[in-house]
Amino acid sequence: MNYDAIVIGAGANGLVTAHYLARAGKRILVVEQRHTADPAADIGWVPDVVIRDLGLAGAGLRIDEPDPWVTAPLEAGGTLELSRNIARSTEAIRRISPADAAMWPEFCQRMRTLGGVLERLYLVSPPDIESNDARELARIAGLGLHVRRLGKQTVIDLARILPMSIAELLDDWFESDVLKGLLGALGVWHLKQGPRSGGTAFNFLHHHAGSPAGVFRPARSNVTQALSKVSGVEVRRGERAAVLAKNGKATGVVLQKSGETIQAPLVISSAPPRATLQPLAIELYPDFARAVGNIKARGVVARGTLALEQPPGYSTFCIAPSLDYLERAYDDAKYGRDSAAPYVEVQRTDGRVEVHVQFVPPGNHDGLAERVAQILKVLPNQVALQPAEESLYHGELTLDQILFMRPVPGWSRYRTPIEGLYLCGSGTHPGGGIPGAAGRNAARAIL
Amino acid sequence: MKRYDAIVIGGGHNGLVTAAYLARAKKSVLVLERRPRVGGAAVTEEIFPGFKFTMFSYVVSLLRPEIIRDLDLPRHGLHILPLESTVTPMENGNYLAAWADHDETRRELYRHSPRDAEAYDEYGRLMHFMAQAVKPILSMVPPDPTSFAPSDLAGLLKLVKHFRGLGGERLHALVKLMTMSSADFLDEWFETDVLKATKSASGIIGTFLGPRSPGTAYVLLHHYMGELDGVFRAWGFAKGGTGAVSESIAAAARSFGAEIRCNAGVSKVLVRNGHATGVVLENGDEITARTVVSSLDPRRTFLQLLETDELPAEFVADIKRFKFRGSSGKVNLALDALPSFTCMPGIGRQHRGAFSISPSLDYVERAYDDAKYGEFSRRPYMDIVFPSMIDPGMAPPGKHVMSIFVQYAPYKLNGGWTDARREAFGDAVVNTVESFAPGFKSKILHQQVITPLDIEKITGLSEGNIFAGELALHQLFFLRPAPGWAKFATPVHGFYQCGSGTHPGGGIMGASGRLAAMRILKDGV
Repeated sequence: MNYDAIVIGAGANGLVTAHYLARAGKRILVVEQRHTADPAADIGWVPDVVIRDLGLAGAGLRIDEPDPWVTAPLEAGGTLELSRNIARSTEAIRRISPADAAMWPEFCQRMRTLGGVLERLYLVSPPDIESNDARELARIAGLGLHVRRLGKQTVIDLARILPMSIAELLDDWFESDVLKGLLGALGVWHLKQGPRSGGTAFNFLHHHAGSPAGVFRPARSNVTQALSKVSGVEVRRGERAAVLAKNGKATGVVLQKSGETIQAPLVISSAPPRATLQPLAIELYPDFARAVGNIKARGVVARGTLALEQPPGYSTFCIAPSLDYLERAYDDAKYGRDSAAPYVEVQRTDGRVEVHVQFVPPGNHDGLAERVAQILKVLPNQVALQPAEESLYHGELTLDQILFMRPVPGWSRYRTPIEGLYLCGSGTHPGGGIPGAAGRNAARAIL
Repeated sequence: MKRYDAIVIGGGHNGLVTAAYLARAKKSVLVLERRPRVGGAAVTEEIFPGFKFTMFSYVVSLLRPEIIRDLDLPRHGLHILPLESTVTPMENGNYLAAWADHDETRRELYRHSPRDAEAYDEYGRLMHFMAQAVKPILSMVPPDPTSFAPSDLAGLLKLVKHFRGLGGERLHALVKLMTMSSADFLDEWFETDVLKATKSASGIIGTFLGPRSPGTAYVLLHHYMGELDGVFRAWGFAKGGTGAVSESIAAAARSFGAEIRCNAGVSKVLVRNGHATGVVLENGDEITARTVVSSLDPRRTFLQLLETDELPAEFVADIKRFKFRGSSGKVNLALDALPSFTCMPGIGRQHRGAFSISPSLDYVERAYDDAKYGEFSRRPYMDIVFPSMIDPGMAPPGKHVMSIFVQYAPYKLNGGWTDARREAFGDAVVNTVESFAPGFKSKILHQQVITPLDIEKITGLSEGNIFAGELALHQLFFLRPAPGWAKFATPVHGFYQCGSGTHPGGGIMGASGRLAAMRILKDGV
């Protein structure tokens, strides 16, 4: 069997790339190391254009849009519940802080405008600021013009807010600790930074992209499972593939278990950039090799499941009672320890109850499950956690690792110095938390 | 009564620079200083008989060479002596040193890590280049990206061209410097922890950030822009202390005909129909002028000297949001004799340079952690110099003065600053030094401890911030001090700002003062 291209990894981005290429008439093989599809929910905005292009609605795609989208316990008892309806959230906030309630509608609107700017940037290749190509320059000028048409306030907000810390941003608007805590958690989501670190306001907006105004948690879906049901590509499971290259050109992959080699002129990897590239002879490209070695992809999250007798009454339960709580949780990670009091979020999707725990750096995790169980008032054996050694986003979403700097500066357009080898995973623009966006951009770059 | 062409409020170095440039252009200029002497935060004072101290700022490097030239400062008494080395004592008794002689520094680094010694030169070249690349921005009036005025569009285009001209690799390095933490940035180059700690320390000076906080790599670069006699990255010490810098600028201003009045605090700027017409002194006197320029920080310039109803509400909100969080303190000591450090025993050439108390990244980061939650650092980061070793005139024969710059001391200390807390802070500083130089405490004759609250009380700098506003990315360039008002003009006609709270910011550069004077002259006084 001859393939036009081999895609490594059957996650959302790998499958999206595979299907776009298949639709363009290519014969595609996808190689995936897991035997079965991961049952965990996909967290993040699935762009409409991907759903449409690949007919995912007909493949059983379900997008969970919980309402209320977050529930947070209050110190005095009871909970704060924020709804998809801005007026209803405003009323809920008014019970804890009238001043914050007065700010909420405008905050939601301003953040939505900025989220919209990011959405536009995310569904195309990152701007190539070094290019002298007239078309690329026109495209960049077009983006600039688009932003300026959104008004003076938006230009100022972009310049001011993106480099800010989420703590500074939220302190500008709100006074309530619990509100700032649950919003601030999204600013440090999957990042080895505390809420007082610059750039966390950007991370907050990144994860707001794709959500309506007033909703600050990414959507949850079964997009990877839906993609697995779309026909048109061949998927081989239970095999780990490594890229083969000769004379600076990709020639195919080798399956590590069987030793079988499969030839193809095009190899596209959705695996983390470093894992894909370092086994190859990239030392032939010293600057590139150094940049790949410098990708920051520090693991800080443990994900897992919660075994409960009854499904919980909430859809998203957030334990991050204040910005200081998050900051202290991060302090532990700075010195290589799991947070003594971690940020914990429970998510109920499709009958599964999943849990996100942060900060959990690589190392010894003694007592972590017990602490999480205690925070959630359950028994330790009800909590199953898998700490991630590396960033689940294949590269942290810090300002020095986005747009034309992702995955490494100067190589942001899904290519690598090895001819015929492309990247299409979360490690590339626009990064994690947007299943399918990088995959689609990569497929378009390849085609 | 005389009506001046311009009144400059505040006789700090930026106010004096503005005054000197205006006077040089044949304008009648009056500088009004609240304190008995000029200099603001760049003053030399004899705190204890015979011992002279540069009370606050203590080294010179960033002063713009064009100002030294234009105002002929050496003729007016400016004499800069080089600061030759930096020694970092480590907790295990070892040390890391950087000497004036490049080869010696390389050998020293080699002792710690051959790999880092190799990387050091390339790193130095990159930083030198990046500082060169950013420097034109320092002498440029920031264009407003929200405006469609031809001059702003032209300015933006010039900026885009400038940056694209750097080429890919350097452009990427610039993005990294603008966005990364100094620890992460240095991690890409070096492996020796004490080297990274000492280098990253210049990225935290004057900020309320730790070495692992994004944004500190930019401050690292800011401190690389120093230029003395054309030699990059050379720190120096002014003969007579930093007060001598201010005195020389004042002398230059007077030589051009400017009038400087001390003990003359300004309480209000007079505004009639949206135009500044003069000032009211604290003693009630009114002085009129065609133009009024404030070198005070943005908070005092707009919220104290003016009535808020004289300004657009949105602008007032922006100024209220401008962040100052002072984080630095200073301990000035008169010594009977120089201390000997365990890592490099005895008295020698090391005392003619700086001692950096930054033994590891974690040490500096923990110092920040304390401040983050409202406490001063129990074991602070310190930059120590002995000015009397470089300029013997600073202390009586055989005695010495020691200047300790300390971080972190938060302005908003839990429970507030009191005399007892100030003393406890001084103890933390002295005891930490003692741990690296046993016997040091017994040599102290007099001790002055300065907290951010003291800096605010004495110099007026809001919250004791030494840069008159934090050098954070969202407070730089066209956002300094507020979007739309980063070009030295203000919403009040004839009222200008020229202090470090405007582009390009603090560090005894004088660039703000010079750019403001250019703008005022262009507008026609």
